[in-house]
Amino acid sequence: MSLLSALARGAEIPIFAATGTRGLALVERLARRPGLRLVASPRHARVLLVAGAVDAAHQRALERLHAQVPPPRGTVWWQAPPLFARGETVAGDDPLPAIRRAAMANDPDQRPDVPPHPWQGMGPHGQGGTGMMGGNPHGRPMAMTAEDIRDGLALDAYTARFGPFLPMLPPGLVMDLTLQGDVIVSAHVASPPFDQGPEGDRPAPCAARMLRLMGIGPRAARARGALLALSKGSGTRRRLSAWLRGEEVTETPEPLPDALPGLEWAEAVLWLASFPPSRLRAACMQGQAA
Amino acid sequence: MTHIAMPIILVLLAIAFTIAIQRIGAQGSATWPGRAPFLGGGLPETHAWQRFHVRYYPMAVLFIAFEMEMMFMYPWAVVYVETGPVALAEMGMFLGILSIGILYGWREGVFRWQ
Repeated sequence: MSLLSALARGAEIPIFAATGTRGLALVERLARRPGLRLVASPRHARVLLVAGAVDAAHQRALERLHAQVPPPRGTVWWQAPPLFARGETVAGDDPLPAIRRAAMANDPDQRPDVPPHPWQGMGPHGQGGTGMMGGNPHGRPMAMTAEDIRDGLALDAYTARFGPFLPMLPPGLVMDLTLQGDVIVSAHVASPPFDQGPEGDRPAPCAARMLRLMGIGPRAARARGALLALSKGSGTRRRLSAWLRGEEVTETPEPLPDALPGLEWAEAVLWLASFPPSRLRAACMQGQAA
Repeated sequence: MTHIAMPIILVLLAIAFTIAIQRIGAQGSATWPGRAPFLGGGLPETHAWQRFHVRYYPMAVLFIAFEMEMMFMYPWAVVYVETGPVALAEMGMFLGILSIGILYGWREGVFRWQ
């Protein structure tokens, strides 16, 4: 082994964690282990870690994530039955040896190398049609201006399906969101968050996840005024303070399609993270049943 | 001779540098699904190319309006006494045009402290 590869072995392994059923507490525990680093985008990762079981309905989403980890890439299925034949499965409590092996691996592509949207348009880059914004590059229409709900500035409305493995949203939550700039204009829950069990509602993993989303360390959170960055009136600060004191939070959020419109993206992310996963799941399922 | 050769050499060097940087950054190996926007497994319905409002824009307009005013007023103050009413009329016209920008900023709420 050369000196260079010996040094490289000591480096932190950037992993992207796709959290499944009862995987939230596992990932929060893993985040504290030395030798690896949780990254917020698969493009920055070396290893795709699937923590907790993911149902087959989300297989395509996982495959997309796998494709977005730049090669060479590795995959680890931790306490999760594999949905496609890539990587290694770990049933025990410690995935670190498997992650180290995956960091040496090079998975072949899982998704076929074709555009995700069919090609539409007249010109060689999908351009064409009438007007300045005409044409459907790669089959996706251009965003068009719509009435603004914040301050009257008509911005382009961007509609997309977010989740189920977006690290800033609760794992499993799939939402069809329309955004104007950073303001959520409309929200529709397509799939509720995964069940995280009683383990996921414990104050420690909930507080750790929220602090990680805020980008402040656990020690900094105890400093005076550290939580003042959280918006007032939404209850976010109160719930995080309760978790930091080690108390359970039992509040239930109001239905997401009513609560999210009008919030900025960053506010919405912290608002969602400030509820225990079981309560959020119950609220989403109630909303879907209604 | 050097006067002609040097710019040409510099231009050629710049072109070579640009091509080299492009080669280094080339990601020819990225697949189609690998290049799709990251939405946690979801797919976008709308193209990612969109207009985004620059929120500091009214403040920038206001700053430029007042700054241009000052830039023109200093030399104007020097020649005002000898030029007389013509200078006053010119400054009035100039301020009139600039005040449109200030009025626009006012309408956009730039004077409201939030």
